[in-house]
Amino acid sequence: MKNRTFLPNLFLGIVTVIFYLPIVLVVLYSFNENKLTSVWSGFSLKWYQMLFQDKAIFEALGNSIFLGICASVNAAVIGTLGAVGFTRIRSRSKGPVEYLSMLPIMIPEIILGMVFMAFFSLLGLPFGMTTLILSHTVFCIPYVYMLVKARLVGMDPGLVEAARDLGASDVRAFFDVTLPLLAPAIASGMLLSFAMSFDDVIISIFVTGVNVNTLPILIYSQLKVGVTPEINALCTLMLAATILLVALSAVLGRPRRSRHR
Amino acid sequence: MKKVFALALTGALCLSLLAGCSSAASGSGSATAAAGELNLFAFGEMFPQEVLDGFTQETGIKVNYSTFDTDETMLSRLETSKGGDYDVVIADDYIIKTAIDEGLVSELDKDQIPNLGNVNPVYQGQFFDPEDKYTVPHGAGVMTIVYDPALVGKEITSYEDLWDASLADNLAIIGNYRVIDGMALKLMGESYNVEDPAVIQSAGEKLLELAPNIRAIQDANTQDLLISGEVAAAVMYTSQTYLAKINRSDLEIAYPSEGLGFGLMAQFVPVNAPNKDAAYQFINYLLDPEVSKQCFEYMGYYCTNQAAEELFDDATKELLVLPEDFLSSNDIEMIQPVSAEAEEAHMQVWTEFKSACGQ
Amino acid sequence: MKKRSKLWLTVVPLYVFTLLFVLGPMIYMVVLSFQTRAEVWGVVNEFTLDNYKNIFHPVYLQTFAESFKLAITSTLFIVAIGYPFGYFMAKLSPVWKKRMMLLLMIPFWTSSLIRMYGWIIIFRANGTLDKLLMGLGLTQSPLKLLYTYPAVVVGMVYALLQFMIFAVYSSAEKLDWSLVEAARDLGASPWQAFRTVTLKLTLPGLLSGVILTFIPSMGLFFIADILGGNKVVLVGSLIQDQLMKAHNWPFAAALSVALMIMTTLMIALYKRVTHSEELEGLL
Repeated sequence: MKNRTFLPNLFLGIVTVIFYLPIVLVVLYSFNENKLTSVWSGFSLKWYQMLFQDKAIFEALGNSIFLGICASVNAAVIGTLGAVGFTRIRSRSKGPVEYLSMLPIMIPEIILGMVFMAFFSLLGLPFGMTTLILSHTVFCIPYVYMLVKARLVGMDPGLVEAARDLGASDVRAFFDVTLPLLAPAIASGMLLSFAMSFDDVIISIFVTGVNVNTLPILIYSQLKVGVTPEINALCTLMLAATILLVALSAVLGRPRRSRHR
Repeated sequence: MKKVFALALTGALCLSLLAGCSSAASGSGSATAAAGELNLFAFGEMFPQEVLDGFTQETGIKVNYSTFDTDETMLSRLETSKGGDYDVVIADDYIIKTAIDEGLVSELDKDQIPNLGNVNPVYQGQFFDPEDKYTVPHGAGVMTIVYDPALVGKEITSYEDLWDASLADNLAIIGNYRVIDGMALKLMGESYNVEDPAVIQSAGEKLLELAPNIRAIQDANTQDLLISGEVAAAVMYTSQTYLAKINRSDLEIAYPSEGLGFGLMAQFVPVNAPNKDAAYQFINYLLDPEVSKQCFEYMGYYCTNQAAEELFDDATKELLVLPEDFLSSNDIEMIQPVSAEAEEAHMQVWTEFKSACGQ
Repeated sequence: MKKRSKLWLTVVPLYVFTLLFVLGPMIYMVVLSFQTRAEVWGVVNEFTLDNYKNIFHPVYLQTFAESFKLAITSTLFIVAIGYPFGYFMAKLSPVWKKRMMLLLMIPFWTSSLIRMYGWIIIFRANGTLDKLLMGLGLTQSPLKLLYTYPAVVVGMVYALLQFMIFAVYSSAEKLDWSLVEAARDLGASPWQAFRTVTLKLTLPGLLSGVILTFIPSMGLFFIADILGGNKVVLVGSLIQDQLMKAHNWPFAAALSVALMIMTTLMIALYKRVTHSEELEGLL
């Protein structure tokens, strides 16, 4: 028995180590005193110091957090309501609309970026936070929708019926019965949405305005070489925050994983 | 009841969207016209803070500096505001031509710009403004070759040298296809602005021979590849050449013997600029030799202000002033917009070249 | 009936948003793809098929072909690593499944750009890999792996592997192992049992994983850019170039429509083959 699981487990172990290798290196070099990643010249926290003085990075971080919150809240409201409504509505347009609203996470992001850029300029919307929030909401809705829908499928419809029989209005029944039952799904949907929005490069590049940088856009422009270890330091801090977030989501509900953005 | 609830939620949704809008509006520092203000619209990182502060000190006019990242963004902003909102705009030559053609640029009142005589006449009278009615040049960009003599082992003097097999996998270039296709055109003795798609195609074939030498195609921070030793030579924008030389004085600059393409940035006043007087004061201020010097040293473009040339120290002068004999020769040519047909040929050549580089 | 009539209000936001910001832009994309590019700037409202004809120009066809080649190469590697990974993972004990899940989630919740940056550190001249190989005496000089085709493949595999793992895992987890044992009891060799039972039952996961890795790999231009020095041209980078550099929006729209059609066909084919409504392990 031991022999039969040894090789598979070795495989799992090796792949996992390779997963972590690039990340470990990024973290390691954030403590490197030297600017060049090819030279290790001693332990230092100076990049963290410099990071905290870098206004541009913090502005971008602020933008990204704000954007992530707005997009995930919007997605939570629209997605939850839509999923709840659709389980009880029969309409010919239901299928196509559901398909359309899921489309954003099925197609390559470059298409979304392209169409939003063209469409927003057709509408004459100024590129900036507004366009970012709109486009991020579009690709966050499917995550909330699908998770809530999955949860609704496993839910006993008798519960809502019972509440209504006891005299609760539709709204009461929704808030007192449905919503608490859906809460974990909504929460993990929002977390997932936030993570997607927070990590999005491709769509953001096309719809952002001149003076609005999100963190991924900032990192992308620096990544093309010429990266200062400040970015490593930032990554390390973000990684710490991520681990915190993952721990949080593990506590909140069934862990969900992210789709690459 | 359900309606109320739905309305409440829609309201919440709208609020969060509105939050986005309002924060975007306040975030972009929207430029409103008020007395004693100047709305400057240009690329980022073009002005050292001292220069802007200096203007405010001298005139009491506050400068609102908004930036754009591509010329096209600038133009669409200007179109939306019907040539209003901004007082001074600095952009690239070809887009200024479009702006002038669309009637978005006002004619300059030259009496209000006494320093206009400081401009180097070489850069005046170009295709986008042949009679200098609308614009004042503010920096020239020339595509140069920069190389690391220790890694190249011989002198580079021409585009032809870049095709040499000794540079295999050792050359970085910028991603401007008119410039890169143009190297092949120049090698064939053609103009940058050739319209015949067949000529552009044959330049494309020539370019394919360069593919094995290309290590990276990159617009931003190209100089870092050279500085860090990732490549031995690079074809770069002027500002990048400047940064490369500042970081590593042992790097060599080559002005290719086949001729150079150049581009100009220029200032103009939009037709409905809210503070035209302030605009003229600012343009005049920027033409002051000392102020010019500070600007050019900061942005690293070739100096278009003749009066400022004398103020640079020798090392800087070498980097920011084009050699006299170069300017007087016919080897220098502006890259101008070409027809959609030629543009399409360029794009095809470029795409083919890029994928050949990846093989 | 009266209750029903109010219920539709809950789906109003979804309808409005979907029609306005998904269907609207998609329709505009199609319209744009039939318009003519203006001589200098913008788009002229003149019907043309040129943008679609242009896709069939050898240069652009080659781009599609190469993008496909890269997508296939990456997907093959992803299958080779991701399938056994997901499969073995489903065989772990419940505690280890959970731990493995968390272990996998942390890197994938990390910014994808940062993870790519890690590979830059490894690949760059005199970087980690060069140091290691030269230290071991296996190579004499830097390998110059950054900005090469293999570097892009590594980036793609790394960025997309998780979809395969999770898709395979989610279908392997549902697998009834007693079926495999039954096959074995009936005299099937381990390979036969795997092929006839396990593979068949995990096929939806595998196919879903293929789609979830194949489709994005044609659009992830930033990986080709960061790790490939912009030399490997994906359909995605072509669209980006047309938008940002050539300002040929109608052609970019036509390219997007083409990519969109391919994507939709692949998903439709998947649904046909597996008889399922959603992609396995998408979330």
